[in-house]
Amino acid sequence: MEKMGGFWMKKKILSAILGAAMVGCLFVGCGEEATDTAESSAESTQAEADDTAGEASAETSTAELLPGGGSNIIYCITPSTSNVYFKTVQDICTSEGESLGYEVKCFSHDDDAAAQSDLFDQAIADGAAFIVCDNAGADASIEAIQRAADAGIPTFLVDREINTTGVAVAQLVADNAQGAAAIAESWVDAMGYEGKYAELLGLESDTNCQVRSENFHSVIDQYEDLEMVAQQSANWDQTEAYEKTEAILQANPDIKGIICGNDTMACGAAAACKDAGREDMLIIGVDGSDDAAALIKEGRMVGTALQQIAYITQLAVQQGDAYLNGTAPEEEKQLVPCIAITSDNVDNLSSFVYTE
Amino acid sequence: MGADVKSGAKKDNSKFIMTLLKGRTFIVLIVLLVFFSIVNDKFLAVTTLTMLAKHVALYGILAIGMTFVIITSGIDLSVGSVVGLVGMLVGGMIQEGVTINSLGVTLYFSVPVIVVIGLLVGCFVGWVNGLIITKLNVAPFITTLGTMYICRGLANLRSGGATFSSIQGYEGLGNTGFKVMGSSVGIIPVGAIFLLVLAVIGAVLLRKTAFGWHVLAVGGNEKSSRLSGIKTDRIKIYAYVISGFCAALVGMINTAQLAAAHPASGDSWEMNAIAAAVLGGTSMSGGSGSIIGTIVGAFVIGVINDGMTMCGVSEFWQKVIRGVVIILAVVVDQMQRNMQEKMALQSRNENK
Repeated sequence: MEKMGGFWMKKKILSAILGAAMVGCLFVGCGEEATDTAESSAESTQAEADDTAGEASAETSTAELLPGGGSNIIYCITPSTSNVYFKTVQDICTSEGESLGYEVKCFSHDDDAAAQSDLFDQAIADGAAFIVCDNAGADASIEAIQRAADAGIPTFLVDREINTTGVAVAQLVADNAQGAAAIAESWVDAMGYEGKYAELLGLESDTNCQVRSENFHSVIDQYEDLEMVAQQSANWDQTEAYEKTEAILQANPDIKGIICGNDTMACGAAAACKDAGREDMLIIGVDGSDDAAALIKEGRMVGTALQQIAYITQLAVQQGDAYLNGTAPEEEKQLVPCIAITSDNVDNLSSFVYTE
Repeated sequence: MGADVKSGAKKDNSKFIMTLLKGRTFIVLIVLLVFFSIVNDKFLAVTTLTMLAKHVALYGILAIGMTFVIITSGIDLSVGSVVGLVGMLVGGMIQEGVTINSLGVTLYFSVPVIVVIGLLVGCFVGWVNGLIITKLNVAPFITTLGTMYICRGLANLRSGGATFSSIQGYEGLGNTGFKVMGSSVGIIPVGAIFLLVLAVIGAVLLRKTAFGWHVLAVGGNEKSSRLSGIKTDRIKIYAYVISGFCAALVGMINTAQLAAAHPASGDSWEMNAIAAAVLGGTSMSGGSGSIIGTIVGAFVIGVINDGMTMCGVSEFWQKVIRGVVIILAVVVDQMQRNMQEKMALQSRNENK
């Protein structure tokens, strides 16, 4: 018993020391942040003070604003950055956030709602100021966002919507419908309003895939002489698009054009057409990536619909900052128009940023 | 007398069924080819077959390495990630060179050197897999699951997640010509040539050399093969090195075909490789399998993929059908094994 008791005592002491060390670490962490961004945190506490003061008088009519988690950390949660598009979200979020005096932590949920939920917990535990999120599922994400809101942390969604309102503070999305229709119009012109074509779809369970396809067809189907002879899913993937395009070309050598749900697949299709000696193929995509821009310059793609993701992210961070300073965005759902990129204006595009 | 005739007929009958069962994958392949030729009149063309060989080459080569590993009763889940990693490293070496910060120089290697480095990286990952499995006694599934994540992470880290696009090399630096690995000799795709060469080497290695017999022995009964003097650890490590080598080669062929390296390339390809090996009659419990079977299995998957794409069947149905074919293949495999045992027992009884 003696021995046992001693053992437990030791264990207790050990855990106490460990606990103290961990708490110490926390303080050190906070201390560093405080010295790094002393000014901004002072500002934000000032803002919070204003907030509470404001709430009493002016803000009583509008919904109560969430206070933020207490720290000045922005959590940026996106799908895997192996797609440049999402990498841009993280990069812009970091640069814009840091210029406004925040610390920015970036994470990927790899389109896994469970992983995203864990990241939200982490953000709550970290006392994030606000969360910028490109979510992992229109329904599966609601619960996590609600949990953050319950902990007083506002969430700003970019790029993808969720199937409810009132949970996230803002949902800023590119107008996929308008973008797909706009680039489809350029493509129809290039096709000369007639001929056979094929379509490469993205992941068919993804809302964006359906929206893009529907709006391609809302334009294209008006022309009776345009005939779709093959429609296949290539799961947004380049190698798969390459192989599917080869198979489609084999079965339908007379197609003149290929419409693709994103630029990654368009690049795969363009590579397959080059190998088959069909560099005249009229290909369009959606996203506005630099790879697509290069192909447009070479004349191997007709165009792409630029989703202004850099601008959207910038907007989200600015609105987050304004929100913590007491100004909520006017509307939750905000559509940012896409720009049709063709050989005429491709020179204005670089890293998802379009400059007039 | 009557009973004798009856049993003789039965024996002939079961022999016939055995032959059918043994050649089942090949029969399935023929049936699929005939089926798709009827459904789509453009299917039975030389160009379709070369395209098919090109597509099959990617996971067919992976499946050759995988067959060696599975025969040792292991599994290699890391091959898909090695495809991505080697693709990114090779793409990076051509596009950006290797910068050594301490010396302040950037080295550009010629294409053959780059190819060798790529292959060495694949072998190294395989070697690490083998070492961890044999020396540290970690289950192959866990080890290669770990290296799968590590390699995928490293592939993303190489470029910070970005794609290396239009990989052509620069005339001035003398590193052009990588595209050859993804092009064709006449009408035959280079990938298909690699597949053929590796299949021949693999088949000879497995059937005609001491190493191959040792691989089969280790998978059949590790303890007794160790007791009979086979260096089981070394054999296993070699099997993983072969798998890594094959994966690295596929990574480079894929990169050359696309003229682009994407860090997510090869995602879940290990599943195609395992499926091809299993379809070809390789037993997941180790000890038996053949390279020719694996190649036929890879072609079955390839014909299903390309045939259904050419006929316009949706991706969802393609997946369902692929799954059904794999399960059926294993069910028939079990039937064959049971039957073989029964026949062996029968002949033993008759000889008594």
